[in-house]
Amino acid sequence: MREPMIKPDVMRISWGPQHPMSGQTRILLDVDGERVHRIIADLGFTHRGIEKILENRTFFSGIIPVDRMAMVDTANMSIGYVTAIEKAAGIEVPERAKWIRTLVCEMSRINSHLYAFGLQAESTGYFPAVFLWTTVDREILLDLFEELTGARWSFNFFFPGGVHQDLPDGFREKVLKAVKYLRGRFKDYWGAMVENPLFENRCNGVAILEPKDALRLGATGPVLRGSGIDIDMRRDEPYDAYGDVEWEVITEDACDVMARTKVRFHEIGQALNIMEQIAQKIPDGPVKGRVNAFMRVPEGECISRVEAGRGELGFHLFTNGTGNPYRVKINSPTLRNMYVFERLAELNEVFIADIPVIINSIDPWYLDADR
Amino acid sequence: MNSNTLFAGTLTSLVQANQFSLLNIPSMIIEFLALNSKPLLQVLLLPGLGFILGFAIFAVWFERKFLARAMLRVGPYYCGGRSGVLQVFADFLKLFMKEIIIPASIDWPFFVAMPVFLSTIPSLALLLIPFDSNWVLWDVGSLSLPMFFAIMGISPLIPIFSGWASNNKYSFIGAWRVAYMYISGEISLVICAAGVAIMAGSMDLVKIVEAQRSMWFAVPQFIGFILFFLGIFIESERTPFDIPVAEVELVFGWRTEYSGILFGFTMMAEYVLFQAWTLMFVTLYLGGFNGPVIMGMPTASHIFWLLAKFMVLVVFIILLRCVFPRLRMDQMITLGWKYMTPLALLNLFFVIVMKMLGGV
Amino acid sequence: MNWLRKMLKPLMIVAPYVLRNSQTVAYPTERLMFFDRFRGRHVFHLDRCISCGICARVCPDASIELVEIEGKDKKYPQIDYNTCCFCGYCVEHCPKQALEFTDIVEFATADRSELVYSPERLMEVPDIKEILPMMKRRTEAYLTDKEMKYRKVKDV
Repeated sequence: MREPMIKPDVMRISWGPQHPMSGQTRILLDVDGERVHRIIADLGFTHRGIEKILENRTFFSGIIPVDRMAMVDTANMSIGYVTAIEKAAGIEVPERAKWIRTLVCEMSRINSHLYAFGLQAESTGYFPAVFLWTTVDREILLDLFEELTGARWSFNFFFPGGVHQDLPDGFREKVLKAVKYLRGRFKDYWGAMVENPLFENRCNGVAILEPKDALRLGATGPVLRGSGIDIDMRRDEPYDAYGDVEWEVITEDACDVMARTKVRFHEIGQALNIMEQIAQKIPDGPVKGRVNAFMRVPEGECISRVEAGRGELGFHLFTNGTGNPYRVKINSPTLRNMYVFERLAELNEVFIADIPVIINSIDPWYLDADR
Repeated sequence: MNSNTLFAGTLTSLVQANQFSLLNIPSMIIEFLALNSKPLLQVLLLPGLGFILGFAIFAVWFERKFLARAMLRVGPYYCGGRSGVLQVFADFLKLFMKEIIIPASIDWPFFVAMPVFLSTIPSLALLLIPFDSNWVLWDVGSLSLPMFFAIMGISPLIPIFSGWASNNKYSFIGAWRVAYMYISGEISLVICAAGVAIMAGSMDLVKIVEAQRSMWFAVPQFIGFILFFLGIFIESERTPFDIPVAEVELVFGWRTEYSGILFGFTMMAEYVLFQAWTLMFVTLYLGGFNGPVIMGMPTASHIFWLLAKFMVLVVFIILLRCVFPRLRMDQMITLGWKYMTPLALLNLFFVIVMKMLGGV
Repeated sequence: MNWLRKMLKPLMIVAPYVLRNSQTVAYPTERLMFFDRFRGRHVFHLDRCISCGICARVCPDASIELVEIEGKDKKYPQIDYNTCCFCGYCVEHCPKQALEFTDIVEFATADRSELVYSPERLMEVPDIKEILPMMKRRTEAYLTDKEMKYRKVKDV
């Protein structure tokens, strides 16, 4: 990319792709002493051309690359594409399939938020304890995924018309047991990490994003809800079974890094409530509609928006009557949040030591920013 | 023991008198070993080469195993039976055999020399610590406390030099972070040590330990106790104060460009500094080698008590690594100047008042 | 004193973790039991295949190619594991269930051409003890209220 000129009194550090904490991206920091004057994000290292790949594949085959857009949160990625195809083709999904989809999406959301939580702990220097505890807890969810779908992540479990397989025997009891275990773990996380006085020192008052700035710059997901704004796609445009279970949208008013961490934390609690209700009250019925694997969708366009773990994910699908989509435009949450991240250095006073903390409070997953 | 010559025997006197011939060598060797068994033991084993290297190796292994337990996994598992004790040797051997990559644009005399200095200069200060009333390897008499701080005052300069010599932006940031951290942290440590010296009435470390025979100095000087405990973390750059080497922000800070055995030296240097400051903390505040005599062997039991207190502190400090995240640079400077230095002065004021009232 | 209690609370929570069991599996001495639906390497049943070619057409990565084998006159699927993504469409859409999944995941080789599995190679499923001779136990995970533990299912 063409980088802006370096001003004479700053030093430009390339928080480069070879860095223990940068993820798969390069971020340029203009640094004067310990204070960061400007952040420039240089994305695009993991561009795979998913939007172009989807034009060459059938609808069923196209779900597989979309799964791999954010492996830690796969169900929410593929539910967007599947919902878009169903809207375009006018396919009805049976009730039980909708409830199973919601269950898998919420488990995926817990997976994603636990990963973000662990990275947040690692970025403050707290690596030994919390990051590996979250890895252990994610193992339990991954075992549940393996029992239900056959793969631990990047399972392609959804297709336009339902889900591939029904719940196995004894699955509902296992889900309830996992919910009980995870609820007990959160007392440990809350006490050891969120109420740790040194962690509060690192996170309180850092990178404040005012509500009007959050709306103006286009933040989404926990970044937006951590600034007090009450927008959530699961409630505003309900899809699947979110209208049938009781849950709340979590917002916090403090607008800083700690508020976003707490939003993710409480969202895990809400997801556990949803999982418990689904496991207790799921209706019976068929699980797949009759859909051809080489389906053709009549000409048209449609938009579907879902709430992934990181924010709002949008699919704008253009079809032209053949078995392949004509064009798919994916609106990724991380790309929008990275724009907010770049502006944070102008809105606050940011130190170098704050940069990993802020990045992990925005929770980027660069593979879905680059698609 | 005469403080001018460490080793006694006829060798030195014969060399001085120019009466040296080759036929005398076997008897001189035997006489040397017989007369100097205790200094030799001190230099080679305790507290010399064997103790320093042995503790560095033990501490690396123990930290890896202990932290692995806190992370719910096993640490080194395959080398050397189930406990993985040989893993540290395997890692050191690997580091010896790796290539030392020196980029073309760095200042290579400084670059190569600095890790070696950082490992050896603090071990010079460690030789001052008394393990028993007459088991001090480097006996400078009544100047041992200032000598310790004088030698340890050199140790912040070494990361600064190597950070500048590396010609790398990350190392440069690590270098001036070292400068900030040591400036704010070290003043309160020296003031606390001055308080201890006043209460003991002398600056000789042996006399400071003997003055704690009735009560450890941790009790009347609890402010100094806590501040010096924080000082161990600051000086040896351990979490929560490992700001210059913050791996998630700067790729290893001032240690970034080191590879091969130079990297091994920087790792060892961290443990040597840690060892020196913890032993000094035990000597100043926790009574040094004082303790009940076991089985009628005063020397061995004194050494045992010092090492026992030292090991308890080492375990506790390694545990604190799991518990607290890292401080930010401006929070560290605030802590150093706003809280630690005034509290150290307050501690000194209390000590002077107690001494003038004739209490302790 | 509130400050001191706040500092000690994380210590009280983290310190007991040192005494817990480790949550790791000592692979390859132990190996986990996989569930029934797990998508590992395929196994091919020659007597059920009717050479319809649906598996080759539905495979999203074009990893299946129908080839001739010795002694038969129909063509049978050859799977290229360099590109297979283990999605499960070939297994789901086969009308005679000629392709199924096993739980073998250890088939790394040093040569890319060895990862192209001919139909004869797909038919045989080696015993797990041949692939991992140092394996001693099969374990599985189970969940108590406080932690996840591993227990031995059977010796091998």
